[in-house]
Amino acid sequence: MSEWGHVYRWDLDKTYLDTRFEKLSRMVKIAFESAEEKVNVPGAAALLRELSSETAGFSPARVTIVSGSPTQMRKVLEEKLALDGITWHEFHLKPQWKNIRRGRFRAIRDQVGYKLPLLLRSRTKISQEVKETLFGDDAEADAFIYSLYADIVAGRVDDQEMVRVMKAVGAYADAIEACHRSLRTLEFARSDAVERVFIMLDKSTPPAFFGPFGSRVVPVFNYFQAALVLFADGHLDARSVITVTQAFLEADQHTPEELANLFQDVVRRGHLPAHAMQELGMAVQDEEDTPPQTREVVWACVQRFVDLADERRYDPPKPPEMDYFAILEHMKKH
Amino acid sequence: MTTIALDCMGGDHGPQEAVAGAAALSIERPDLHTILVGDAAQIGPLLDSMTYDPARLSVRHTPHFVGPEDVPREALAAHPDVSIAEACELVAEGRASAVVTAGSTGAAILAAARRLGRIPGVRRAALAAVTPTEQRHGPHGDPFALLLDVGATLNVSSRDLVTFAIMGSAYAAAISGNDRPRVALLSNGTESHKGPPEVVAAHAVLAELGEIEFAGNVEGLDIPRGSVDVVVTGGFIGNVVLKMLEGIGEVIADLASDAYARKFLWRLGLTMLSSGIKQIEAVMDWESYGGAPILGFCQPVIKAHGRSRSGAIANACKVAAKAARSDMVRTVERAVARLPVPEEEEVGS
Repeated sequence: MSEWGHVYRWDLDKTYLDTRFEKLSRMVKIAFESAEEKVNVPGAAALLRELSSETAGFSPARVTIVSGSPTQMRKVLEEKLALDGITWHEFHLKPQWKNIRRGRFRAIRDQVGYKLPLLLRSRTKISQEVKETLFGDDAEADAFIYSLYADIVAGRVDDQEMVRVMKAVGAYADAIEACHRSLRTLEFARSDAVERVFIMLDKSTPPAFFGPFGSRVVPVFNYFQAALVLFADGHLDARSVITVTQAFLEADQHTPEELANLFQDVVRRGHLPAHAMQELGMAVQDEEDTPPQTREVVWACVQRFVDLADERRYDPPKPPEMDYFAILEHMKKH
Repeated sequence: MTTIALDCMGGDHGPQEAVAGAAALSIERPDLHTILVGDAAQIGPLLDSMTYDPARLSVRHTPHFVGPEDVPREALAAHPDVSIAEACELVAEGRASAVVTAGSTGAAILAAARRLGRIPGVRRAALAAVTPTEQRHGPHGDPFALLLDVGATLNVSSRDLVTFAIMGSAYAAAISGNDRPRVALLSNGTESHKGPPEVVAAHAVLAELGEIEFAGNVEGLDIPRGSVDVVVTGGFIGNVVLKMLEGIGEVIADLASDAYARKFLWRLGLTMLSSGIKQIEAVMDWESYGGAPILGFCQPVIKAHGRSRSGAIANACKVAAKAARSDMVRTVERAVARLPVPEEEEVGS
């Protein structure tokens, strides 16, 4: 039961894959794209590869994918992940056709009633000491679902409150029952199992929107920012951060100055402790084969760090007192 | 990528509008990077509540700034790290290419003089302003001309007026894409012998210089007409002229709204003229011009209006970037180097 060092749960559309289906024509195109044609969110593949790679000193990571894409896309999506060199242990897709056939039209859009039962069921297969890091985006209700899941697993949200919240979002009775079933067998964690929730700001939502979710939720503008926080959390080593940085410098044509700005942004928002920057800087200097451009990034980051002077803060990932009904109202307003 | 150091703290609206302008610019212009200079404790929460691209923004923290009630010299002496000084410092360090501020003009001039230095040969800075004109200017048909100095240097010599003319010409060429802007001296007559001694002497030098397209003297009425692209005068006269033009514009707007309220027939007339009035308003809208340059320093300094909202701040940053990318400073340097040595220097040397 406890063979896993850590669990990484990923959403797919807009979190891992760059799927902008605001237009119907684009939506249709995505449905018929081959695995080779599918485009990643910049840095996503590099980061997930680093997180799931077997590094000496790190226990193996379990990768779970819970996507809102229809089950008909399984083959092409699995091919895409294989092309990217990603190994996964669970891969869930939404049974959209089944929902339509059964007249469950609310379920087509509902993410809470779809993702929460799957997350809880998956958690029942893992021992309580295993921690998790979750990845979602701002296009759907990922911050809400992941926070609710984290609080249920930690025992802060009891089954009665869970039912009330699920009813408030219009979840079907069988989804609520599925959550109940998992709760009965779930081994409650003694501490918070969910360490971090990363939200990719695909829609450029202002970060302050996620304030009510507390410092456990980290809105990121790209996965370079996530890699820095994961380094600070001890899930990536300096070598992996260099790999992700290089992915941004080479494939995505970010300049060292731009990456340094992204670094300062995540520091300024209180998600990165000062010591992590120092440790990373020293480790990068120590790595003999660090590419010169990555060294440039580090130097520019130091400059941005100094620019903030004493206006640096760090908010450790602490779960806040969550009022899920107030957050639902907050989300509706936006 | 061109980097702009934006003093966020000095404007009438505090950091709110400056941060909003920079945030909008970060989305609109991927070729620009803005360093927000000011109190990070105020800037951060503002930025986080907006849509922005963090790859094109960064923050330089300083808790001090020159407020509207402060005496610039005293404020800078008390806190050498006030936001405008830090913005200039970033340019001096080579980390930014231009400064934008909506704060005190005096503080901007003082900070720029200390941190950026003047272009060799330029003894006094000049604050320029764009004034709406009847005639269009340059290849883009800009509906405004440049007036300088409007308040940086109150007592000017003939040499100052000549350098102002060179700087005004270089700036107009860089910003409006007008290769040979027509430059004139403001006087009380078009004849070369009209005006105070410094204007007459400057006329003589400019007429011989050949570096710029000198159009001789113009009178006050030529400013709104727009018969030339750049009008040069001393800071005292320039400031009076600018304020008078602004005052006339505001009085006309007040009279029109008063007329609108008083009589049905006038209201009808104004309604029929509304599209024309809107065009005039657009021409008179200083927010769309994006600030005015303080000329004479080794790097561009753009002064946005103290009342600037986010749009005006963003436009000021665009103008600053354009100035930074141009060869404006080198052009001025070359032209000033060719000026005849003034008599007072000859005596002293």
